[in-house]
Amino acid sequence: MTSLLAVLIDGSIYASWLFLVAAGLTVIYGVMRILNMAHGSFYAIGAYSAASLVGWYFNNGVGPAWISYLLLVGAALVAGLIVGVIVERGLLRLMYGRDEILMVIITYALLLILEDTMKIVWGVSPYFAYQPYSELGRTSLGLLKVSNYDLALVGVSALLGLGLWAWLERTNQGKVLRAMIHDREISVAMGVNVRLMFTITFVLGTTLGALAGALTAPAISVVPGIGIEVIVLAFAVVVIGGLGSIGGAAVGALLVGLSRAAAVHYAPEFELFVIYGVMSLVLAFRPEGLFGRTLARKI
Amino acid sequence: MEMRYRPVSGCITIIAATLILLTGKPAQAERFELGATPAEADAVVGCLYPMTGRSATYGRDSIVGIQIALDDLAAEAATGLPAPKLRIIADDPRSKASYAVRLAQDFITNDKVRFFCGIVSSGVAHAVSDLALREKIIMVGTDHASSRLSIEAGHEYYFRVTNDSWTSMAAGARYLRDLQKETGWRKLAFIGPDYDYGHVSWSDLQLALNELGVEYESVGELWPKLYEPDYSIYINALQSAKADIVVTALWGGDFIAFIKQAATTRFFETTRLANFDTGANYDVMMALGDQPYPGLILSARHHNNWPDTGRNKRFVTQFHEMTGRYPTYAAEGAYTGIMAIARAIEKAGSADDDRALIKALEGLQLALPEDPPGFASYIDPDTHQIVQAQAVGTVVHNEDFPPSKLMVGNWAIYDAEDLKPSKKMVKLRRDAVAGGSEAVPPPTP
Repeated sequence: MTSLLAVLIDGSIYASWLFLVAAGLTVIYGVMRILNMAHGSFYAIGAYSAASLVGWYFNNGVGPAWISYLLLVGAALVAGLIVGVIVERGLLRLMYGRDEILMVIITYALLLILEDTMKIVWGVSPYFAYQPYSELGRTSLGLLKVSNYDLALVGVSALLGLGLWAWLERTNQGKVLRAMIHDREISVAMGVNVRLMFTITFVLGTTLGALAGALTAPAISVVPGIGIEVIVLAFAVVVIGGLGSIGGAAVGALLVGLSRAAAVHYAPEFELFVIYGVMSLVLAFRPEGLFGRTLARKI
Repeated sequence: MEMRYRPVSGCITIIAATLILLTGKPAQAERFELGATPAEADAVVGCLYPMTGRSATYGRDSIVGIQIALDDLAAEAATGLPAPKLRIIADDPRSKASYAVRLAQDFITNDKVRFFCGIVSSGVAHAVSDLALREKIIMVGTDHASSRLSIEAGHEYYFRVTNDSWTSMAAGARYLRDLQKETGWRKLAFIGPDYDYGHVSWSDLQLALNELGVEYESVGELWPKLYEPDYSIYINALQSAKADIVVTALWGGDFIAFIKQAATTRFFETTRLANFDTGANYDVMMALGDQPYPGLILSARHHNNWPDTGRNKRFVTQFHEMTGRYPTYAAEGAYTGIMAIARAIEKAGSADDDRALIKALEGLQLALPEDPPGFASYIDPDTHQIVQAQAVGTVVHNEDFPPSKLMVGNWAIYDAEDLKPSKKMVKLRRDAVAGGSEAVPPPTP
């Protein structure tokens, strides 16, 4: 029973982290039809920025611990905004309208460039910013002690999901975006500033990626390569849920999170297998993913 | 949709990226050449060490260890002793077996090496060891530790001169046996990286515990991937399993990350964490800061503060004078590798005859910094694995090796002869691989 509870809790925590990472990826694909391989790098940049800032804050004994949480979010917002604007305006804007496969290759190249750039900027030694994690303490859930930071992460993830849904479904900007997703050409004809909406969407996506990295930084060691690992998992999640679907990403994250937690607790040797096993199983029966839509091809 | 082309912002991005790349340090592999010139060298040694990436510290320390060995040999030659002149070429295999094999092949073709040395990853070492056998090049392994390389996959051209997973786990098993008498612990769990070294370490520990007749309950084994950044789910699983002791084969940054993340939980309040092979490495000591987490049981292949002998003090001091920092165990491993090659050439009379060199290495005695008083390491003629004593201890405050504020102390010392795998064990393991009639009995806790 304790073990089952542990699986549910660990799985939910892992799922919330996966959703945080996958949300930005699926938003960008949904609106811009770009499979953004560089999303993992935005996650890593967020993690490095937050770990550096929080590390500096605590090493210099600057002030109370609660400020470190603001620093985490602040680092993510600044890093996401800056990198998002540079990449969208400086690179992707030159490539819009090209084949989706070409965009995958371009963003993959960007991923490699950013990975090496991060090594140049932050080096290869691990960064630790564990203080915000340990400061929040732990809560007893049955016989288990669960980190309050992890529980907070579940809450943040749920709020973020709701916020994204509300933004897309309940705001004018969201309606415009959905119109663009439905038919980009008609949207242009109706006077929608597509270029501006693309910039907003891409920067939102990169900021979500950076935020995921920043919020994860206190729980992990921030090392070279975390972006590459993350992007593979995030792709598995969005493919299971259906590319471009926020709800799908949430369900995909839950499926992957719970499966992995069950594997770690009951069959550790199958830990990696189950993630991709679940993905293969879903794609075998629903190639478009659980919540993906099959679109008629325009000729 | 019409998209206007705006070259200005693109150009700015390209210029900015170029500037960053030009002003930053290049993250590229480097080839090192040390020692004698090609014309004067008695033998060329091709070494493979990580110079970039997360394990670069071990590569850099190994190069310094090699330089200390070359200095020692030069000093001997200056006094008229027959120390050979070695030319060392070191390159970065980038932790990739295929790339390492290509570099090693280039060493043979272009540099005419007579020996291979080094290699941190056991997986990469397997591949290069196979090449060494095919090309008849003597390989002196220094850093990788899977005992499979010298037992199941051992061959006449392969030697290893630092503690392997068997030696470390045999010492660990003895420490656990003694601890059980003191504390009565029963439940044991294991967490190790999901590749050869991790799995062999767990298997070696179980076999060593069984040989000693230690009774225990295995409550879990976990296999995170190498370089896993997030251990929280594994830490939760270990806590759920209520292990009294967790033994780990995580190393370097992974072990540090595990400790840091476990420290944010109540892990250390209820569980002892033991790392018998790499845990006391100097980079771990530094990363612990001033937190001697309770229940940490550590050892490593070389300690800066044990044994308290002139030879060890001289090695550590010499390293510190050359670099301004203290060595990880990789430095002493590389030092040992070069000294073993030099002594083998001396004993064989030259570096020309494979058979003579192999014979010279088998049983070769070496007085090393990590040898306790009255003992000299030697290479087991059967397994080609060096036989060494090992010290296991707990973390204590010690600021003699700054910036580290902690070192390992409260030593339990285990004799080298006790840590050798028995002939029966070696035969069983080799027979099991060869499909012989006998097989290694499955570990039964």
